[in-house]
Amino acid sequence: MKLNLKIWHTVLLIWLVIIILRFERIIELIELLYSYSLIIITDFSFASGQFSLSLADHIAGIIIFLLIPVVVIYFVKRVQFFNKKIFTSAVIIILLMFGFLFAPIITDRNPDFYKDIAVTKLLPPLSTVKEIRLKEQKSDDNNKQQEFISVKNKAIRLSFDESVIYCDSAIISGNELVYYQEGNPKTILVEDVLPENGKYWSAKLFVFGTDEFGRDIFTRLIYGTRISLFIGFCAVGISFILGLLLGFLAGYKSGWLDLVLNRITDLFLAFPVIFIIIFVLALFGNNMLAVILVLGFSGWMSLFKLVKTEISSIKTKDFFVSSKLLGVSAFSLMKKEFLPLILASVIVNIIFQFGNVVLAESALSYLGLGLGNEYSSWGSMIQSGQEYITQSWWMIVLPGVLLILTLLTINDLGGKIKAHYNPRIKYD
Amino acid sequence: MNKIITRAITKRIFSSVLVLFLVITFVFFLLRMAPGDPAQKFLSPNFSPQLAEQISKSFNLDKSVPEQYISFVANLFTGNLGSSYTYRLPVTKVVYEYLSFTIIFSLIAFLIQTIISFWLAVRSVKNINGSFDRSVDKLSLLVYATPSFVIGLILILIFSVQLDLFPTSGTKSLNNSELPFISRMLDYFSHLFLPLITLTAGGIAVFYRYIRDNINDIYNQNFILNLRAMGCSEQTILRKHIIPNALGPFLSIAGIELGILFGGALITEVIFGLPGMGRLTIAAIFERDYPLVMGCTLAAAFLMILSNLIADLVKIKIDKRLIKDLLQ
Repeated sequence: MKLNLKIWHTVLLIWLVIIILRFERIIELIELLYSYSLIIITDFSFASGQFSLSLADHIAGIIIFLLIPVVVIYFVKRVQFFNKKIFTSAVIIILLMFGFLFAPIITDRNPDFYKDIAVTKLLPPLSTVKEIRLKEQKSDDNNKQQEFISVKNKAIRLSFDESVIYCDSAIISGNELVYYQEGNPKTILVEDVLPENGKYWSAKLFVFGTDEFGRDIFTRLIYGTRISLFIGFCAVGISFILGLLLGFLAGYKSGWLDLVLNRITDLFLAFPVIFIIIFVLALFGNNMLAVILVLGFSGWMSLFKLVKTEISSIKTKDFFVSSKLLGVSAFSLMKKEFLPLILASVIVNIIFQFGNVVLAESALSYLGLGLGNEYSSWGSMIQSGQEYITQSWWMIVLPGVLLILTLLTINDLGGKIKAHYNPRIKYD
Repeated sequence: MNKIITRAITKRIFSSVLVLFLVITFVFFLLRMAPGDPAQKFLSPNFSPQLAEQISKSFNLDKSVPEQYISFVANLFTGNLGSSYTYRLPVTKVVYEYLSFTIIFSLIAFLIQTIISFWLAVRSVKNINGSFDRSVDKLSLLVYATPSFVIGLILILIFSVQLDLFPTSGTKSLNNSELPFISRMLDYFSHLFLPLITLTAGGIAVFYRYIRDNINDIYNQNFILNLRAMGCSEQTILRKHIIPNALGPFLSIAGIELGILFGGALITEVIFGLPGMGRLTIAAIFERDYPLVMGCTLAAAFLMILSNLIADLVKIKIDKRLIKDLLQ
């Protein structure tokens, strides 16, 4: 039997795998969704007070996650892309999108979570430590608000959690549990420990190892996907709007604006943009908005050139002139007559620009000019790995491989789309 | 003809100087707009107001920004860029020290890039879609997609940490000056081997793809078929017809690449701790060392424009027809 996997099969397959692996986590999040929607109906002011970005992220994540099969089945017949045969780049893109949208579902901890550094720091991939869970104090009053808060604290992982202890080994002597961290014995009462399947401790696996603070690298990589892709989407959106509008204006109403913009683009294309980006960020500080704006404003020149040359040839064509003479406004002309014609080359340009932005963001984070101080980003993970290069290769190699894979995929996708719309180019 | 060439070159130089001036002005006002006061670092709350004012005056910061700009431009024509706040030395001296390393380093890197990428391209076009061509093509895609800091760190991981072959930072060993000439050069070589690979890998991939497509296009043109029909040997066709034709388009990207290299290879310098212009500039920006930032910008922009100019001149030397583009 020949396996004929299509793209929508793959999406559903990955969805199923996540459900199987993260069943408990999904139940937790559904519980959160349920109790939050209850509390919105019954006690709106409390609900709006509890609202936060991470809560919205978790709830939106679980809703989209549950809707995936509906969406896929709805679009299978309508979108050609879903019916294509599977190829490597598509799988990587789907995985990256899953990581981007469902980071709180795929991982079960906060990216900044660390505890008991002595035991957990710089663990190689696939290593395990013993994990002891302490009993949590139950609050007695049983009102709706308390209930919601306890559900929320369970579902949304924080960057600290005092009820977890990591240790190298543990034994029970009498009514005390003795655990060893780096050879130092410590004792707690057995009755405080939360038993799991009759055992007092379980093995905690770090699939990709940990970094110098004992933070889980797998979690940080998944959250890093978010940062990279989010900055990519925003910056490319800015460049797209700027490039399209300015290009259209310059080509359509060629005059002094055309002249000025042309000079500026020539200047920007002759000078390496990365210098300007680094210069501005080093001068004005580096928060999320600054990085997005700088990357967005420095990337519109190639799209501008493309749009401008296209519009200067199209604006003399009959269909364009006749719609113009019928009184169609400039904006509708662009939307209805112009954009559909050049959509293919614009998409290719945008995809390559997206790759450039992801690369630039990681390079900035590596130099300490990105978002590495606030968020886990691939570039900053590699930077922190550089200090521990003699002890822990995984801190550099794993984010590096993920970064290379992402950039390769983006380039490959750009080439494929280019070949799809332009059959004269052969691409394998 | 000679007159036209002189006119074209004069025009080109004039517009280059204008661009240089614009860049410097832009950077100057951007620096003044940015938050942070350079004099603040050298002040203490215990100082008397007069002393604080004196320090600010010694940094030339007590005047208004347009006045500062005018005096900066006036000093520029006399070759005086002021003195660096942090180094306490004339800017020209500091920049000279770092610039000499950057120029040597980037020229070597540029030479390596050009030679290797040309060799690879010619080799793979000879047997297009052959095994060599396809494997180098795949490899160049991979290298092109790999950020240079990942390449550098993986090289360190393999060659320095695991195999212990090359040192990881600096340009020379401590006892370098005591060694005889040959081992001194070997010492430099072993220090700069990994940085050079890191710096050139990306460029080789870009150049290779560009030159390969270019040469391939030329091979498919009719005049080559004609030459073959006339019985020219493949060697002559390659040397006398293919390479000169491919050189023109290559030179324009080569000029830009050389300019980028002259601006300082910031990431490579950071990974391997090299004393280059990139790190100097970034440090100066963070320290708000205004004169030094201006000096670095001036040097980088000047070299960038110069390399573009040289590329254009060489292009005209090869193909006289291009002078029309320059005149427009």
